[in-house]
Amino acid sequence: MIKIKAKDVDVFYGKKQALYNISLDIEENQVTALIGPSGCGKSTFLRCLNRMNDVIDICNVKGEILINDFNINDKSCDVVRLREKIGMVFQKPNPFPKTLYENVSYGPTIHGMAQSKQEMDEIVETSLKKAALWEEVKDRLHEPGTGLSGGQQQRLCIARAISVRPEVILMDEPCSALDPIATAQIEELIDELKKEHTIIIVTHSMAQAARVSQNTGFFHLGHLIEHGSTDKIFKNPDNTKTQDYITGRFG
Amino acid sequence: MNKNKEQLLNKRYRAERRFRLYGQSAIFMALLFLTIFIFKIFSTGYTAFQKTWLIVPVNFDAEMMMIDQNPSKEDLQDADYYDIALKSMADLDQNANDDQKNQLKRMVSYFFEKEIKNEILNDPSLIGKTKEVYLTASDDLDQVFKGNYPRDLPEDQRRVSDYQLKIFDQLVAKGKVESKFNISFFTYADSREAELAGIASSFMGSIFSILVCLMIAFPVAVLAAIYLEEFAPKNRFTDFIEVNINNLAAVPSIVFGLLGLGVLLAIFHLPRSTPLVGGITLSLMTLPTIIIAARASLKAVPPSIREAALAMGASRMQTTMHHTVPLSMPGTLSGTIIGLAQALGETAPLILIGMVAFVNTIPGSPMDPAASLPVQIYIWAESAERGFVEKVSACIMVLLGFLIIMNLFAQIIRHKFEKKWS
Repeated sequence: MIKIKAKDVDVFYGKKQALYNISLDIEENQVTALIGPSGCGKSTFLRCLNRMNDVIDICNVKGEILINDFNINDKSCDVVRLREKIGMVFQKPNPFPKTLYENVSYGPTIHGMAQSKQEMDEIVETSLKKAALWEEVKDRLHEPGTGLSGGQQQRLCIARAISVRPEVILMDEPCSALDPIATAQIEELIDELKKEHTIIIVTHSMAQAARVSQNTGFFHLGHLIEHGSTDKIFKNPDNTKTQDYITGRFG
Repeated sequence: MNKNKEQLLNKRYRAERRFRLYGQSAIFMALLFLTIFIFKIFSTGYTAFQKTWLIVPVNFDAEMMMIDQNPSKEDLQDADYYDIALKSMADLDQNANDDQKNQLKRMVSYFFEKEIKNEILNDPSLIGKTKEVYLTASDDLDQVFKGNYPRDLPEDQRRVSDYQLKIFDQLVAKGKVESKFNISFFTYADSREAELAGIASSFMGSIFSILVCLMIAFPVAVLAAIYLEEFAPKNRFTDFIEVNINNLAAVPSIVFGLLGLGVLLAIFHLPRSTPLVGGITLSLMTLPTIIIAARASLKAVPPSIREAALAMGASRMQTTMHHTVPLSMPGTLSGTIIGLAQALGETAPLILIGMVAFVNTIPGSPMDPAASLPVQIYIWAESAERGFVEKVSACIMVLLGFLIIMNLFAQIIRHKFEKKWS
């Protein structure tokens, strides 16, 4: 089933065009990896999906992005509601400088998802459990989230993202600041999360894309060169550029 | 080749040593000037915290006070103390002629009558008895006792006569002159008489001005900074505003004084010489300082925190109020305190709006006329009497103490709250 359908998306930073005619379908409850060399526009595309580009004054997005058949670039789309449905995890772990508990409960609080303290406690606990962090932090929920290790912080950010039960989770190079062990933990987690969420991950590591994703899109200089099942892209790509990038001849 | 290299290396080390020496001597010079400055102020000013008293026997004669033997409280309030006060002073020298009696009277402050009155109000049983009463010495004798007075000048160049000095020396020899901590310096308002002048009025004036300034400048500046930094679109117009805020911070303070005079007093007819007007004028001056500090600390909040909140579906307002502003508060608050400390030391704008007027009452609200500490320093520095010299230094000490405490407070806020989360 198609969850997100991008049609002819163009993105401009001022006069400079960053994305050209991107059309891409993203399957529900699967992991889609976006790969490509630095500056190819994969993060820009990811940020289109929850309208985070709105924050940048000079950024201009054209085209249609349908999520559940609703165009999020339409004027009637409310970004606050949209971002409640589409969570995001960033490249560098960015927990709020508040306690672990406050970090996870922030989303449910502003969206009014819990009626009582108990409900909130439950949300925090399930979110942390799903993020595979509960066992490590259950005794220090009221200590600052910034005191955790890098990998733990990133899992806290994932817990924060899933606390509002989003349909889609966007991950922008979530492991690039982490060591291999923490990376392996996050990758395991991604595999688990795809049961309930649709995941789109931007990554620099082709090995990671091959390991975690079912579908892959390859970006180059603002163009979506090729997309399809990860197996096909890695084993038998149609385009020579994809072939060259995957085999490490450039990038 | 090798030798050249060695020479070059030595040259580089020498250059580094020279540079360090320049730096060290610059620091040394700065410390030296500071030490001289502080030493000068303390050595001149510390005597102002002592006050000289003459101990004079006073005969509380009911007849002279024109009351009966068992007077009520009101009678004591209304009684005539001038005669017994005069007589007590005149009695210091039994053989004094009229002119000398007059000189004897001028050995104490003109408060002597009140001091005697307070004595009997505290203890009405003194009627008909004689008691030794502490009377404030005149400022000149105060200076004589502290050793600051040039006694060897010819008499016609001195404000203290030979006769007064003679009587004073006799009192000193009898142990009837005493020096005590000068409480009245902190509790009395300004006075034309140095021995009675205190900083209560200007201290309260400063406090009220700073409070008014804080209450106006802080909310306005913080809201302006938040809007400019977090909400305003970045275009020509906001650039223009930004440039002008920076310009405003560089405007000489006296210009703000003229603004206060021309607008607050002339157009809005606010009460002249009051901390209210002073505070509003100072707040105009403090505004850009706080805006700049608040914007800098908002800028210092990492964008990743804003993105995290926005990506969670927080509105812009929620992102700002829940995350950015709390994180920027330590910087904003310490900037505010430093801005207020600047305002506290401002003299020129206050002079223009009339806070330089002679005020001998202690203000009870920002609507009462008052001076301020720096203006008090200016007023006293202009006065001719020797007694005011030490008062100027003492007032500077109080002002500096005030400033040091405020800056310390700013440092503490900054350190305490920044460490907590980093």
